[in-house]
Amino acid sequence: MRYIFNFPDIGEGLEEGTILEWHVVKGQAVKAGQALVNMETDKIVTDIPSPKTGTIVEIFGSVGETIKVGSPLVEIEIEGVLGAAAVAETKEPEKAEPKEGDEEEGAGVVGTMELAGKNAYLAASDEGSSKPKTEEKSISKVLATPLARAMAKDLNIDINAIKGTGPSGRVTKEDIQNHQPAKRAADVKQKAEPFTPIQPAEAYTYEALSQIRKAIAKNMLNSKQSTAHMTLFEEVEISDLMKIRDKFKHKYAEKDIKLTYLSFIVKATVHALKKHRQLNSQMDMENDRMIFKNYYNIAIAIDTPEGLVVPVIRNADQLSIMQIAHEIMLLSDKARDRKLTMDDMKDGTFTLTNYGSIGGIFATPVINYPQAGILGIGRIVKKPVIKNDQVVAGNVLPLSLSVDHRIVDGGEASRFVNSIMEYLSDPMLLLME
Amino acid sequence: MLTTTKKSVDKTDTKKQTNLFKDFDPAEDKILRIIDNDGKVINKELMPDLDDETIIQAYKHMLYFRTADQMAVSYQRQGRMYTFPPCMGHEAIHAASGMNMRDQDWLAPAFREVGIMLLKGVTMKEIFLYYMGNEEGSNYKKANHVLPISISIGSQFLHATGIGYSVKYQKKDELVFTSIGDGGTSEGDFSEALNFAGIWKVPVIYTIQNNQYAISVPVRNQTNSVNLAIKSYAFGLPGIKVDGNDFFAMYAIYKAAAEYAKAGNGAVLIEALTYRKGAHTTSDDPTKYRTKEEELEWDKTDPIIRLKKYMDEKGIWKENEEELIEKYKLEVDKQFEEAENEAAYKLDDVFQHMYVDMPEDLKRQKSDYEQFLTWKESRK
Repeated sequence: MRYIFNFPDIGEGLEEGTILEWHVVKGQAVKAGQALVNMETDKIVTDIPSPKTGTIVEIFGSVGETIKVGSPLVEIEIEGVLGAAAVAETKEPEKAEPKEGDEEEGAGVVGTMELAGKNAYLAASDEGSSKPKTEEKSISKVLATPLARAMAKDLNIDINAIKGTGPSGRVTKEDIQNHQPAKRAADVKQKAEPFTPIQPAEAYTYEALSQIRKAIAKNMLNSKQSTAHMTLFEEVEISDLMKIRDKFKHKYAEKDIKLTYLSFIVKATVHALKKHRQLNSQMDMENDRMIFKNYYNIAIAIDTPEGLVVPVIRNADQLSIMQIAHEIMLLSDKARDRKLTMDDMKDGTFTLTNYGSIGGIFATPVINYPQAGILGIGRIVKKPVIKNDQVVAGNVLPLSLSVDHRIVDGGEASRFVNSIMEYLSDPMLLLME
Repeated sequence: MLTTTKKSVDKTDTKKQTNLFKDFDPAEDKILRIIDNDGKVINKELMPDLDDETIIQAYKHMLYFRTADQMAVSYQRQGRMYTFPPCMGHEAIHAASGMNMRDQDWLAPAFREVGIMLLKGVTMKEIFLYYMGNEEGSNYKKANHVLPISISIGSQFLHATGIGYSVKYQKKDELVFTSIGDGGTSEGDFSEALNFAGIWKVPVIYTIQNNQYAISVPVRNQTNSVNLAIKSYAFGLPGIKVDGNDFFAMYAIYKAAAEYAKAGNGAVLIEALTYRKGAHTTSDDPTKYRTKEEELEWDKTDPIIRLKKYMDEKGIWKENEEELIEKYKLEVDKQFEEAENEAAYKLDDVFQHMYVDMPEDLKRQKSDYEQFLTWKESRK
């Protein structure tokens, strides 16, 4: 009776193999365990032995051909097996023949462990607990087959965003394939062109990314990808503020403190934040809630030769303008000397970026995620303004406010800027509150 | 096995073996070796006192291990069995430790220890069932005090320490044997188990089967220590590096270690230097990370060839080896077919053996899996 030997999954979760060499020819007698063919797979190159003793009556595939797992390799005429026994023999491969979906079962010494996800958390000390707790919250990864996971990774698809059609919402190979077409165009765009130099080698200088540059890149991308940026521009006339500053800066200087406009802007911002709490918050989408912060830590973006750093003035609402000015000095010195610690930079609730001290009128600052807003301060410009229906020379401070539009609506953003402008155009208000 | 005369012998041996650990100090990177690659005795006074029968028996064991091992790989290649980790090259370690284990002694095996398991009474059929994914493969009908195979690297060391502690507490005359690979020594389990072994002085014989590779990672990338046996220093245990392809050296050290433990001195750590001649598992292709030249170099130390050379020199091997191997093949094949014909295990088997009453989360997992199987069936 004839027995068809199908190419078995000789690795773990193999799909196919390529024929490198046949060890047998049609008509040849073979013994069980005798090498039939040399196959190359993703994992190994190996001989495939015959499971039966008999005569080769058919060979499927020639050298170089790819054979799918489960497809016939050879047909063997089995000796001394007749009738029903032979039928049973030919049916036998059913058992070993891997079907689609078998990848879920691939347990082994170096096999991949299924990650516990929805409805399948790993019990440890909670064993025997009667209620499945935090079932929804503790989900870190969707349930998916290892193959689907690998495909998603290769194709740059966020597997968590795919709705699985397998049991318990398990994401399968098909789900990834079906998800692909829509995503593909975006993927192509996202993938950076590999750098292929067209000039001689000396035309380029390669430099490894510094830690700080890597951190900046990560934070900037994360912010742009995780928030909905919206930027608003305003101008405020600050002649009164300038007078006050001019008047007091010498007094401050006696105490070795540099009275900057930024100190006033920090103060004004804190006052405005207190009235517009959305700007001092963050969104926690995972838990469907807002987090409003009842403390005011103002982060200050500082330009250094190594790159941008953003240290924090802690509890700025409890500090006088002098104290704020002092803090700014300390942080700037630390930044310049590269002495800022992680503690100096964490827990900011709102950020100021004073690019105007170098140059620039308006900008579209990138939010210091997960904060809700960032205020960009431009260069003070002397220009004609209208006061009491008269054209006069004014000192105009340009402001650029970027907000996370998920959190802050346009109206609220405008009201917030208005509030800051009020304090800056009439600094006495800073004393009155 | 413990007769009064034997006990008196033990005493003198205890003295001798203490010296053994001192004489082969791992800090000096010494290695215990009794026969060389040509089977010539190079360390006569340490040669274990074995009669010809026992030596022949040891050789037959090793031959059977290798035959069964090669056939297991072949069955896997035929698609009749799942992933299998070949033991080829480890035969001397397996035979020597197995032959030094008594029925009441415990074995906490890792996954590359088929030979030791066979000598403890586990059958090839059970091994095959295990690698077919059948729970019955861990239900050893005739083997006493053998734990199921530990796939997770290193955990068996902890089990062995625990059992050793229990044995000592209950003042039983039982020893515990366990092995780990060279890669396993980097696991926390290794250090935790040996730390307590040192404190509690448990009657456990720990072996590192250093076969040079943790899958594809060579030993030189595994540790900066001069060898692996020296790690015993950290735990206050005697340690020794032994030629793991020298049956006599392995036999001598297991005998000495067993006597040391029986005398109440506690555990020892043995590094058995060997070479994994096969792949890590049937899913691995060693040609991708090691050279043919290296393999040929190690072939010169092959434990089976060495013991054969020794026997030939002594003129004690008279059997027809080819016939013997054919006989073994038939036996292995018979056991494999029995395993193939075994009824498929029930889903319940996966869940029911750990607890008397199945806890809620296991019940849920079981029902999830049933759901999965139904879904899978529907896709056919």
